[in-house]
Amino acid sequence: MGTFGGISTALSSLIAQRTALDVHGQNIANANTRGYTRQRAELGAITTVQVPSMFATSDGVGAGVRVTGVARADDAFLDAKLRTQTAGAAYLTARAEVYATLESSLGEPSETGLASALSTFWADWHDVANNPHVSSTRAVLLDDARQLADSLHQLHADVATQWRQARTTAITLVDQANATAANVAELNGRILGVTVAGGAAHELADQRDLLVTQLSDLVGVTVQPREDGQLDLFVGGNALVFGSTARVLTVAGAADFGQAAGYDATPAYGVHLEWADRPGQRVPMAAGEVTGLLTALAAPEPDGTGGILTEAAMRLDAVATSLVERVNAIHYTALTTGGTTNQNFFVPLAAGSAAAQIGVAISAPQDVAVAAAGLGANDGSIGQLIADLGLASDGPDDEWNRTVVETANRTAAALSRSTVAELARTSAEQDQLAQASVDTDEETVAMLAAQRAYEAAARVMTAIDEMLDVLINRTGIVGR
Amino acid sequence: MIDRVTALTVQRSTLANLQNNLTSMARLQAQMSSGKKLQRPSDDPAVAGEAMHLRATGRRLSQYTRNAADGDSWLATVDSALIASLATMRRVRELVITSGDAGLGPASREALAVEVTELHGDLLSQANSRYQGRTVFAGTSDAGVAFDAAYTWTGSPGAGVERRIGATTSVRVDTDGSAVFGEGAGSVFALLDDLVAGLGANQDVNDRLDQIDARMEALLSAAASNGSRQRVLQSVGTALSTQALTVKTQLQAAEDIDLAEVIMDLQLQEVAYKGALGAGARVLQPSLLDFLR
Repeated sequence: MGTFGGISTALSSLIAQRTALDVHGQNIANANTRGYTRQRAELGAITTVQVPSMFATSDGVGAGVRVTGVARADDAFLDAKLRTQTAGAAYLTARAEVYATLESSLGEPSETGLASALSTFWADWHDVANNPHVSSTRAVLLDDARQLADSLHQLHADVATQWRQARTTAITLVDQANATAANVAELNGRILGVTVAGGAAHELADQRDLLVTQLSDLVGVTVQPREDGQLDLFVGGNALVFGSTARVLTVAGAADFGQAAGYDATPAYGVHLEWADRPGQRVPMAAGEVTGLLTALAAPEPDGTGGILTEAAMRLDAVATSLVERVNAIHYTALTTGGTTNQNFFVPLAAGSAAAQIGVAISAPQDVAVAAAGLGANDGSIGQLIADLGLASDGPDDEWNRTVVETANRTAAALSRSTVAELARTSAEQDQLAQASVDTDEETVAMLAAQRAYEAAARVMTAIDEMLDVLINRTGIVGR
Repeated sequence: MIDRVTALTVQRSTLANLQNNLTSMARLQAQMSSGKKLQRPSDDPAVAGEAMHLRATGRRLSQYTRNAADGDSWLATVDSALIASLATMRRVRELVITSGDAGLGPASREALAVEVTELHGDLLSQANSRYQGRTVFAGTSDAGVAFDAAYTWTGSPGAGVERRIGATTSVRVDTDGSAVFGEGAGSVFALLDDLVAGLGANQDVNDRLDQIDARMEALLSAAASNGSRQRVLQSVGTALSTQALTVKTQLQAAEDIDLAEVIMDLQLQEVAYKGALGAGARVLQPSLLDFLR
């Protein structure tokens, strides 16, 4: 090593420690930046060239330190875990929210729900059967029957509205996913540009990771990193982002509730996603909020695994159908006080939703028939039979009770599953943050270390300077 | 893995815990203010189903109670009509026996005939007794009278007015007038007409006593059957109100909160929340920078 070699060693340390301090400064500056991953200046000792040979001049002392690179303290496994858990939790939460809204629109158990309207309706039949000659009881019955029909209309309209809102939300979310995918593709391009130029694009990578997590939340992407630092994202096995190009997802399928529930289309078809450049080809979805909404928007299945909302509408239709058909079947045989018979109480059902179209066919109180043939004008025995429908084991009341309890059961299950998934997501996020986030105490300590090393390197420089001072200025003045 | 703990992760977990505590507080608060255990059916689907069932049962029981009360009034009307008719018939019987006195002259028999005519009117109006506009001895008829001027019964054979007092139980609340009073020429009214005619012609009508006794027998048995149905209805009414009370209690047990328990839970939750706040304040504040100069 030459005479002045020590000074350059000290200089290398001054430069390296200052760079390290800069990196800590960047960390502290971004301590609260969302998605920021802490960085470290990686220091490496510079070795002297040491080729073993007879006349090797090296004394084996190293030539100082240099910054070999700035590392980003990310963990690909923790990132992947966070993305998977986010996608799963978003899917379950979307479903749980649909169920919770549906459940609250059923409005049971209460004093004002459909069950109560049904009870009132049957009680009215009791009253009419008891006093067939009093026209006011019939008028009350007709009013309450119309109210009952209105309740069913309202319930059905609520479900249909919820379906339309869910579809609008799905469209908005898919738009958002497309915009995010385009951003990821653009960032891929910029990162590639920086890395091929030999730079470090850590801040861009931070931004991209945030966007990818958002995409997982929306459509549940799977991630495939490339050697050159780009990320490819896949949905349902096909690339959503491939290098610096992004593809576009569109919402296709049923445009209105009638098609999804099968009122306006046979067979019913739900809502699904397609690639914009491959129309007609359905994208199989596995996770994410959009997927959760799509399961709510799907067509009903015979085994009850179809769309949440369309199946709820089917249940309402079953209640309405049972009500209309059973009441009509009995009422048809009854005689009015005027002796008229073969009349429907409810308007017979046409194609489409029974719950949406149910209506009372009778407008005049005297047309309500409760008498059996040959048992006198004031007989009420048939009315009594209709009143007894309230107790029928597969009557409308029973059907409605089962609908409410089943919806409640499914809501409870969906809520608890989404709570569990959300806990898992939180823990994955916590793990990821624990790895990536900046700790100010740690940075303070590292800053202290860098500062001390800088001071010591400066001292080394001073020591060598003083040593040389002795050599230059004091040599050859012996005895002077 | 061993978690690295940073200021950010501590902040996050502190916030999450505070959120959890506040959510529990809000749930208890909602229970307190609404007085209901369940805010939505999914809080406990089984209880929600039970509550719906109990509410429907309660509604049905109150309808049965109304039916029973209405039926009781019908039966009371029938009962008083039958008792009055029996009294009338007893008086008729006495008059018929009196008519057998050989010393009676045409004027006296004429006087008896006048009284029997009166009684005939009474009996017919008893037989046409009405409750809420309906003839109780021809329940399903809308003719306004159970027996018209020709003593034709206006009811329908086999028909009856029934009141539903249980899921499968009904009680008949009218009485078949044709069985009690007879119809047309065979009716008790025709019999009384005959008596009037006989007495008017100054005859001894004691040979009719058997027919009178048969009619009284029919009246008595109708009154007995009516009374027993009334007793059934009254006891069912009592049972119904007991059941209604039970259902109400069950519904309250299923739906309503135990106030003391919720207040206690709320108190505990408040302590937990304050603890979490205190712990958060302690762990978030200090930093290494406080100790470096």
